Amino acid sequence: MVENARSLNLVASAVLFLGMLYILGPLYLTLTTSTQSYEFMLRNGLVWYPGDQFFTNVIRIFSETRIPQQMANSMVVAVGDAVVTCVLSFISAYALVFFPVRWGSVVFALILATIMLPLDIRVITTYQVASNVLSPINALLDVTGLNGLIANVFGAPIAFEWSVLNTHFGLIAPLVAHGTGTFLFRQFFLVLPKDLVKAARMDGAGPIRFLFDILLPLSRPSFAALFVLTFLGGWTQYLWPLVASSTPNMQTAVVGLARLAPDMEGVMPDFPLIMAGAVVVSIIPLVMIAVLQRYLVRGLVLSEK
Amino acid sequence: MSSPTQALFANRWLPVLLVTPLALLIVIFFYVPIFQAFYWSFFLERPFGGGSIFVGWANFARVLADPQFWEAGKRTVIFMVIGSSLAVLVPLILAVAADRQLRLSQPARNVLVWPKGVAGASIGVIFAFIFNPFVGILSPLNQWFPGIWAPGIDGTDAFIMLIAAHVWSGIPFNFVILLAGLQSLPRTMHQAAAMDGAGAWRRIFDVQLPLIMPQVFLTLVLEFTESVTSAFALVDTMTKGGPGGSTNLLVYKIYVDGFNGYDLSGAATQTAILMVFVVLLTGAQFAFLGRRINYER
Repeated sequence: MVENARSLNLVASAVLFLGMLYILGPLYLTLTTSTQSYEFMLRNGLVWYPGDQFFTNVIRIFSETRIPQQMANSMVVAVGDAVVTCVLSFISAYALVFFPVRWGSVVFALILATIMLPLDIRVITTYQVASNVLSPINALLDVTGLNGLIANVFGAPIAFEWSVLNTHFGLIAPLVAHGTGTFLFRQFFLVLPKDLVKAARMDGAGPIRFLFDILLPLSRPSFAALFVLTFLGGWTQYLWPLVASSTPNMQTAVVGLARLAPDMEGVMPDFPLIMAGAVVVSIIPLVMIAVLQRYLVRGLVLSEK
Repeated sequence: MSSPTQALFANRWLPVLLVTPLALLIVIFFYVPIFQAFYWSFFLERPFGGGSIFVGWANFARVLADPQFWEAGKRTVIFMVIGSSLAVLVPLILAVAADRQLRLSQPARNVLVWPKGVAGASIGVIFAFIFNPFVGILSPLNQWFPGIWAPGIDGTDAFIMLIAAHVWSGIPFNFVILLAGLQSLPRTMHQAAAMDGAGAWRRIFDVQLPLIMPQVFLTLVLEFTESVTSAFALVDTMTKGGPGGSTNLLVYKIYVDGFNGYDLSGAATQTAILMVFVVLLTGAQFAFLGRRINYER
């Protein structure tokens, strides 16, 4: 369209420039500060040009802090969250879309409801449940009076106990209990041509064969999108890994980074070291975004539709 | 949302088997904790076992009589309203600008999703440094006008810092959704409006914005929930609820009461109240706002 909209284009360019400055400014300052020494920062404050202490600071992060171990934890949590979420959501959505499940829509609604109340809101009681995953069974036994019976027969009531706190499984499981993935795959399955199943059945493919040979290859882009989305979600979690890990060796990198700042009042924190930590902790997800941007954007759009 | 009709696999146990793993995780880590929060709010729990006593509405009476609870609730609502309005408005302006296919559009679309890779806690740590009153970006201001920027003392300054970090984190999702909405508008719509003599500025307000109201509404709904919960990481890394409780939002207060104060019943009761609030809010938004928006294209 040929049209003169110079004033608008000028304003729009300025807006985009400011937006990028808002995003990049803090990241740039993080980078420059991580290249200064503590003494330099105390004398000059925040500066816009780089210094030469970057590697010193990064080496200190790797040798003096637990960030390396915690990065490994973050990796386990993020990959675990992403893989398990992808697999479980895929098969759940498959079951709900391609089978005439009774109460199917109710099950789907119950899965979807998880989006409304994020983990951060229900952290107190989720923590209690994680401290003994089998507590619902105990409660059930108590309520039904079964335990009274057992106590009479065997002399003592049964109390199961299995804590998943301070384990990788415990860090991952509550993150997987989320409906976005199922929603995303369901939306994708619903727009597939209806004759797909018919044709597959006519060719003699059963449900399992259909799942692996037809649906799985078709879903590859959705998998990629969901994987990137959940990986980033797992890596950037804060509150849950903070409470679910009781030893520093079990914490994730983001939690470790937040613990680098001293809690004492009146002491100027070693900001160059902390900023070097922030660079180290954020580099993996940022590289991932740069490389897999396409999938991230698709994942964000799909998770909304 | 049509359910797929014919041509399904008829198998009774396979689908149940396939849904079970996720359903089990969701029951254990979603529904049981929610149930437990409501259950505990009627009992006096002793920390670390030791039994519990049924106390009826006493926990609610105690929480609701606590001025700190109302203070935290008020701050949560203020944060929610200001934080989420800005977290939608800023990406909306950026999306309208990026939709114009300028030279900066492509790099902007790339850069504006980066915050998705930076954890809330990380950006909290970074902003705490950048806005540090002694060495941060505003410290020169303090040399000319001593005390004008003091997030460690002045609650308003701390709140501004919190909002700035929150909006920063919220840009990727909202920007992507709103831009996708804008780009799905047919070009003919623009051309028709242009033929009728609507200039580029006019078309933004009379064509584009009304037509992407569904996306704006959706981001706003999600943002309300997001602002209630994601604030934890920011508060914990930037202000610890201070100064003087001025940034003590409800999620943070629940955490402190439960994990530092061992007041499990109080924390569970506040959790229950917060959950009811979030669910009602979402429902109300769909009921009142959602109906007024024209979804037809």
